[in-house]
Amino acid sequence: MDKKLFRKADMIIILAVLLIAGVFLLWQYSSGDNLRAVITVDGKIVETLDLDKVTGKKVIVPDTSPKVKIVAEKGSIRFDEAECRDKLCVSRGKLYRKGDTAVCLPSKTVITITGGSVDAMTY
Amino acid sequence: MQADMKKFILPVCGALILGVVIFAVVFFGGSDVSKDIFAMDTYVNIRVKGRNAQKSADIIETLVNNLDKDVLSRQSKDSYIYQLNSENGGKSAKNMSAYFGMLFEIAQKSNGKFDFTLGALSDLWGFGKNPAVPDKKEIETVLSKCGWEKVTIEHQQISFPEGLKLDLGAAGKGIALDEIKTYLESTKIREAVISLGGSILLYGKRDYTVGIANPENSSTNFAVLTLPASCVSTSGNYERFFEEDGKRYHHILDPETGYPVDNGIVSVTVVSQNGTFSDILSTACFAMGLEDGMALAKEYNCGIVVITEGKKVYVSDDLKDSIEIRDGSYTIVE
Repeated sequence: MDKKLFRKADMIIILAVLLIAGVFLLWQYSSGDNLRAVITVDGKIVETLDLDKVTGKKVIVPDTSPKVKIVAEKGSIRFDEAECRDKLCVSRGKLYRKGDTAVCLPSKTVITITGGSVDAMTY
Repeated sequence: MQADMKKFILPVCGALILGVVIFAVVFFGGSDVSKDIFAMDTYVNIRVKGRNAQKSADIIETLVNNLDKDVLSRQSKDSYIYQLNSENGGKSAKNMSAYFGMLFEIAQKSNGKFDFTLGALSDLWGFGKNPAVPDKKEIETVLSKCGWEKVTIEHQQISFPEGLKLDLGAAGKGIALDEIKTYLESTKIREAVISLGGSILLYGKRDYTVGIANPENSSTNFAVLTLPASCVSTSGNYERFFEEDGKRYHHILDPETGYPVDNGIVSVTVVSQNGTFSDILSTACFAMGLEDGMALAKEYNCGIVVITEGKKVYVSDDLKDSIEIRDGSYTIVE
């Protein structure tokens, strides 16, 4: 009798664990599907955005010198303006796929779309 | 009572075993550390996995900073290169002799198309500061003082004439990757991806994917390479440039003309077991042009991907199975 009860309890625990694991995996999978952009200044995260949920134009001006203006729209993000001379970050264009990265060296600002399908970018 | 005990033995043992496994994985497997820094005038991403990963990432950061400040930088007054340039030579540093050997070798093999003595010419163009097209006469004057054949190493003494400035910009990132690789081999780090401004070290026993920048939009990739442990470098005309009177001028200078290389090549990516070679060869092969560049890469058993104007892509045989084009407007030329 005792043994039977024990097995039942075991099954409940196993099912509960599986359920939690399943929910966790589902949550990971669903949030991993969205395009998420991370903006860092000198290695510190200053803004995280879900690019699938951006409505209209979202302008971000982090506290940097020289100043940079970042524009996020649904599905993409880019350096829109920079006060530095060469403006190479602006010339890098739109980021729209996982793993895309753009760097503004003078202001130490990096935009990355996380969850990249590549381990690194060579440029 | 005994029956009660038995009831608990299995779950308790299970929990203990699970605990030991988790502990072993965390302790011996180590953690995953990612660190972003700005060094060597570029953006550096350090990712390491294994035992003492955080400590290793910190050591790599120090290594890169010191290598720049003490050895490679042309601006830092304490650096080895700065001192050589200000005294037109000096003692050949032991830890640099192998790298100088490679620089001379590629300069010679590329018939001077790759030249590590164009510091003064690069300064004249103002890359990195206030770039502008210099006067033609000025270019000729400065160019006449440049040239790798004017540099001699005898009895561990480097010497070159006044006006010539060494510039290890085309090799520095690769040298740093090789130094990092040597360090990693002394640790318990299992996997690492070090990206030094687009020059990459892939370390560890697995395959990695590396995106090659799309020249038209270099924050995204046009193709992806799947590679085992190796070093990858790219030289592109989109990376450092300025525009004047509607014309684009990029930073890879032709030692023959003193102007940016203009041979139809847009970018060159080189894969090598050696970081310094991948870095030097990407610039050398860019300057040499399509056919000679691909032949040189082959001579060094390096993989190469060349993009030319018109979105044509040339891939060495060894990389043909490793490349996947992601932007359909580019076509591989067989």
